[in-house]
Amino acid sequence: MPAPPYKMWEILERARTGPFCEDEPFIMERFMPQLKAVIRKYGIEYDPATPVPSDDHLADALWRAGLEFFLEVGVLCVDTHRIITFEEGEVKEALYLVPGEYLVGSGKDARLLKHRPVEDTNPPFVIFSPDITCDEELFSPLSIAYLKEPLADGVCAPILEESMGLKIKAQTPTELAGSIEHAMSLRQAAKLVGRPGIFLVAAGTAESDIAQISISHSDWGVRTSDSRLVGALTELKIDNALLNKVAHYQQFGCFAGSLTGPIYGGYAGRAEGTAILQVAYHLMGLLVHQAHYQMNFPFHIHYTSNSSRELLWVISASHQAIARNSKLISFSNGFLNAGPATEMVLYEAAAHALASTVSGANLWEAAVAHNKYKNRATPLEARMAAEVGHACAHMNLTREGANELVQKIVAKYEERVADAPLGSLFSECYDVAKAVPRKEYLDLYARVKDDLIEMGLEFPY
Amino acid sequence: MAHDELFSRMAQAVIDGEKERAVELAQEALRLEIPPLEAINKGYIVGIQKVGELFEKGDFFLPELVMGAEAMQAALAVLEPELQKRQEVRERLGTAVAGTVEGDIHEIGKRLVCTMLVANGFDVLDLGPDVAAETFIEKVRELKPDLLLLSALMTTTMPEQKEVIEALKEAGLRRKVKVMVGGAAVTPSWAQEIGADGYAENAIGAVEVAKGLVEAF
Repeated sequence: MPAPPYKMWEILERARTGPFCEDEPFIMERFMPQLKAVIRKYGIEYDPATPVPSDDHLADALWRAGLEFFLEVGVLCVDTHRIITFEEGEVKEALYLVPGEYLVGSGKDARLLKHRPVEDTNPPFVIFSPDITCDEELFSPLSIAYLKEPLADGVCAPILEESMGLKIKAQTPTELAGSIEHAMSLRQAAKLVGRPGIFLVAAGTAESDIAQISISHSDWGVRTSDSRLVGALTELKIDNALLNKVAHYQQFGCFAGSLTGPIYGGYAGRAEGTAILQVAYHLMGLLVHQAHYQMNFPFHIHYTSNSSRELLWVISASHQAIARNSKLISFSNGFLNAGPATEMVLYEAAAHALASTVSGANLWEAAVAHNKYKNRATPLEARMAAEVGHACAHMNLTREGANELVQKIVAKYEERVADAPLGSLFSECYDVAKAVPRKEYLDLYARVKDDLIEMGLEFPY
Repeated sequence: MAHDELFSRMAQAVIDGEKERAVELAQEALRLEIPPLEAINKGYIVGIQKVGELFEKGDFFLPELVMGAEAMQAALAVLEPELQKRQEVRERLGTAVAGTVEGDIHEIGKRLVCTMLVANGFDVLDLGPDVAAETFIEKVRELKPDLLLLSALMTTTMPEQKEVIEALKEAGLRRKVKVMVGGAAVTPSWAQEIGADGYAENAIGAVEVAKGLVEAF
């Protein structure tokens, strides 16, 4: 099966020729009423008692609701005020053509990135990513620490705020400099740890289209065996700069990832609407972003996290919908409340990984401490998620079994979501020079892992 | 219909986000020759304050907030001409100009803050996303707001908050307006570093900070 692009130029052209609509009516008169209508029509209902539902009818209804919603609403280009719309036949054709797997990375470090069905017994593909900004001098040690993780199938590095001591400002030469520094340093770090061909997703520092384009280079920069992301605007919107990325990624030839984060409590409302929007975003990712995989992080509007009960339901239900009805490859990105070196963050990572893995997602772990604080993330949070993801597949866990475990784990922290501990900085819980965790954090990690074993989780080693 | 019952229905129309009902009730108030200021204060303001409270409690989210604000605005549009005829003015806590800084196209957080401020008695002009420093300066000079709200989601657009503050100084306007900054990546230390007057973690906190700044102004 051919990979994307699928009718890219015809679709991009719709951002100039589609039906005219201003931003406000797009949300108020199109997005919100249609979402309400499909929630009602398909009888979608959130059940707090089952953060990991095992109802195939619910999953399939969510898929149909998401498809109908996407077809009715489309995607607004905010620069042209034109709606990119689709025929149902096009969506079905694009879905039919999805190959369901890609060989990513290169040489000995290449890995098969695959679509996962619900209750898959194959382990998830895990991308280790701190998802935060860091000091310039910590970029390499942090990257090396993540690249050293044995379960990392791919790595996405932290984001730079300064380059050569200069504060990076979007769409200025400092952003280009920071993006090049990011791409080069990450490539160098991968070589240093002995994984020169590992699948890299870069560069988060390159927020703008020009910065992304500036780092496409098969020697020192982002290679065609690597990947980069293209985002959306809240909600179901895009602009010309993002569309520039879409075109460039395809023409350069790297793997494109669709980066979307529907907001629980935002225009989508509560769990039901957020789950439907998740499905719609996957279709947008395939057709507008022309993405080879989807990376999604639904999050709570107040807490910027997705480890609470209602968000775990959104993640689980929507991934089941996608896994059962398509061959799309999807990553579930953990957004956790607590910070590094706390028990809470490790339990949150475990719950997120369980709900995601059993529901057919791959893992992208983890944004911690509300994804807000510089230098505040370490590979151990991601390691916990990865180990739990592997355990879930290893023990052939069913959704019912996962639901029981998730209930027990969530009970450990759900009362503390609003005032979660911020934890420690990378430099406080890691030996920075060696890029390895300190004993205190490793001991804490072991205690939490033992507790998870007590609860019934069977790790492969 | 007794006036109290009418006021209660006005409040409920805002809570339910029922724009048409809110407008009909405003028209009914005019027919009954109820003073528009009384209808606003005892009906619609009560409703929007309740919406704000429910948002704070986590029972309401953005859709309810936006729909409630829209219902109230629609009703006010019916009552404002009569207010002007009577030369009456609605009581306001303060005025604000808000926008996401240049280079940043994110705006949901800012919208939440603006809506919550409106719900709490502020008059807010939302300039939208990707707003140039000169536009902020122009609006501060023209409207003389109590507050200027600068939002930035990304670390790479946060420096623009600082540049707007510097531009205010250069234009001789810095002491004439209180500056609040916010956004996903913004922290209290950043707010302090760039010389902002206020920072809040979220929309609920922003209302308290705004009230405090206006009182102290």
